[in-house]
Amino acid sequence: MADTAIWNFKQLAHHELDGFGGIGEGMSIQIAKDGRRILWLAHESAPKNFTAVDVSDPRAPKLVARRDLPQTHMRSNSLETVGDLMAVAYQTTQKGLQPAGFELFDISVPENPRSIAFFDCSGPTSRGVHQLWFADGEYIHMSSGAPDFTPTHPKDDQFYRIIDVKNPTKPVEVGRWWLPGTREGDSAPPPKRHPEGADTGFRPHNTNVYPERPDRAYLGYIDGGLVTLDIADKAHPKMIARWDYHPPYHGFTHTVVPMFSSGIYVVSDECVRPEGGDWPKLVWIVDGRAEDNPVPIATCPLPPLETYMRPQARYGAHNLWENIPKPNGWKSEDIVLATYFNGGLRAYDISNPYQPKEVGYFVPAPPARAPSGAIQINDVFVDERAIVYTVDRHVGGLYTLEMDF
Amino acid sequence: MPERSPTPASPSQPFGPGPTFSPLKGGDGTFQPLFGGAGTSLFGRRQRRPRGARLPVTVVTGFLGSGKTTLIRAFLQKPEGANTAIVVNEYGEIGIDDALLRASSDATVLLGNGCLCCEVRSDLQETLRALFIERGRGAVPSFERVVIETSGLADPGPVLQTFGTDRALAGEFHLTALVTVVDAVTGTGNLARMPEARKQVALADRIVLSKTDLADADRRDRLLADIAALSAAPVASAVDGDIAPAFLLDDPPIATRPIDRGGHAHTHGIDTFSLIFPEPLPWPAFQQTMALLAALRGPDLLRVKGLVALAGCQGPVVIHQVQHVAHPPVELVDWPDADRRSRLVFVTRNLPRAAVEQLFTAVGEIASLRSQ
Repeated sequence: MADTAIWNFKQLAHHELDGFGGIGEGMSIQIAKDGRRILWLAHESAPKNFTAVDVSDPRAPKLVARRDLPQTHMRSNSLETVGDLMAVAYQTTQKGLQPAGFELFDISVPENPRSIAFFDCSGPTSRGVHQLWFADGEYIHMSSGAPDFTPTHPKDDQFYRIIDVKNPTKPVEVGRWWLPGTREGDSAPPPKRHPEGADTGFRPHNTNVYPERPDRAYLGYIDGGLVTLDIADKAHPKMIARWDYHPPYHGFTHTVVPMFSSGIYVVSDECVRPEGGDWPKLVWIVDGRAEDNPVPIATCPLPPLETYMRPQARYGAHNLWENIPKPNGWKSEDIVLATYFNGGLRAYDISNPYQPKEVGYFVPAPPARAPSGAIQINDVFVDERAIVYTVDRHVGGLYTLEMDF
Repeated sequence: MPERSPTPASPSQPFGPGPTFSPLKGGDGTFQPLFGGAGTSLFGRRQRRPRGARLPVTVVTGFLGSGKTTLIRAFLQKPEGANTAIVVNEYGEIGIDDALLRASSDATVLLGNGCLCCEVRSDLQETLRALFIERGRGAVPSFERVVIETSGLADPGPVLQTFGTDRALAGEFHLTALVTVVDAVTGTGNLARMPEARKQVALADRIVLSKTDLADADRRDRLLADIAALSAAPVASAVDGDIAPAFLLDDPPIATRPIDRGGHAHTHGIDTFSLIFPEPLPWPAFQQTMALLAALRGPDLLRVKGLVALAGCQGPVVIHQVQHVAHPPVELVDWPDADRRSRLVFVTRNLPRAAVEQLFTAVGEIASLRSQ
């Protein structure tokens, strides 16, 4: 599979981001005051923090700004923007290191992001923030450690935290939730670990909240599976439902996207092992109409493992287009866009959710300096013009596409 | 008047208090989809174009020696021909030589430029399904369209039907056009003597006159008249198979102009006419009318294509029926042009326009009469 495989997409551009084309899972569009459309990208690992790309013309993306991380023992990997405010996550390679937490930037001048606050999550038991969700301009919902949270197992060192940023210079935590048993001092017993080789931890990954139901948080809780919370009282979140399908599956539930008009949840796993080590990592279609009883009804079809398996590369699900509730985000409850590392970006029609139909794919040729010799498509963003932005995890940078299905 | 039953999740109360086990029939007797966002209709997701996300298929037919192979080979040489899968009955016909065959896998031959050629072994359905699977596995290049060359004596009807009935195929492939190649020199004779040749023309979406450099103007005009008596499809000429790729690949326009031959255009009983409906039709009434036509005169209902405004559908619905086989309807996001009236083109045998129109009118009247 040396050439680009593309079906029902039109590629508009490819920008390798000037030598630092490794992008994590932070992608967010800002419409700047001068009307430019700026795509902010969080790098997957050190030394770069984030990069801003002018995508006003998606056929000619232009670098606008870039920042280095203050330390190499950390990564940003996740960021969001609302208006001219950007939140960037910082996670350290080991517990106890700094800076760990998130930083808020004023990006009203995209060329010159200006730091306005830092929310410290560091501590002897904490690696900081892995992922943050910020869409309403008021609350950041994130997966983070804390100095006052000691997990019962070292892998369970992050939990769900809600931070009020209505005054962006003074973020303050207003609520938190963790899977009972994962914190020292819980009366509930610690959760049963997954088998050796499939223990990726009981921590949240994505923590999504939507205006259609501001009293609900939808969590991909890694080895904990899907968790939905009632957050009407943010200080006291309550679990509504949990769908745990591991074992026999490997674990690592990553993202939950609720489709409000149909009651369907689209749930992605994350593939974290190369060479098919944790196959299959899938995108699941779950019937969520009975909130307390989610029922899986289908998975999005994929080419077989042999097609895209490579020795040092991943092939399996990871990120979804999450219908981020912002004016510059595309919204669809019939189409799922999902990234699959070496399987590229794949699109599905779920109007019949029992039989998701593949309607398009984009699997770019391996970038020239790909460490594994394979493309590793890592995340996707779709703006309100229906332009698709997708990124490689290591070196490939940014691809811009139009959907044609 | 029966109320439409509430769906389990409505925008005002997403993931409501619990599922309702209410009947799925709407007030007009149609079944409502259980799920589906704003973009979903009775017929699945609304599409921007008739093929939706499916692989487009062009079927090239024509009498023996008419020039089908020449046409296809010329197309493959063009940039627009890249990434095409050709399906043929026999490699020899398309000129795949032994050297290439030895180098290929059993079922398919790579031609370069992303193209491949596939020989029909058992049957066309089997071949196409296998090809689709191979494409998904990455075992063959990720082709973007299929061109099928039928044999010279083929009745194209069954090929057209294949894309309607077979669940595996109808979901993955879309028949864009049936292109019929007619030999400018021998065409008139063939049409006079061979029912297969006539059927190939009658069912065509587009007609290519080949070898026009070898036929004089009179012969050509006679042939054009013979063709017009069987079909209203657009006709273009090709010398050495050279023709604009769009003529092979583009969606044919759907009945943009009414066809009315004033009753004196029958040839061997074959007729082409169009019906225009000024008002949206209720789907059950439309469906029942077509079913009745198929039940009573299926074999003579050679082809029906059109765009229909259905009551309750936002966009027009693409209708395609070949004898008794109805392709799954597709709702479009919008009408292709300013004319928003339903229009259907019929190609029939011994079934005149008046009879079909009267049937639609009668059903329409019955459907609109409701007890108070």
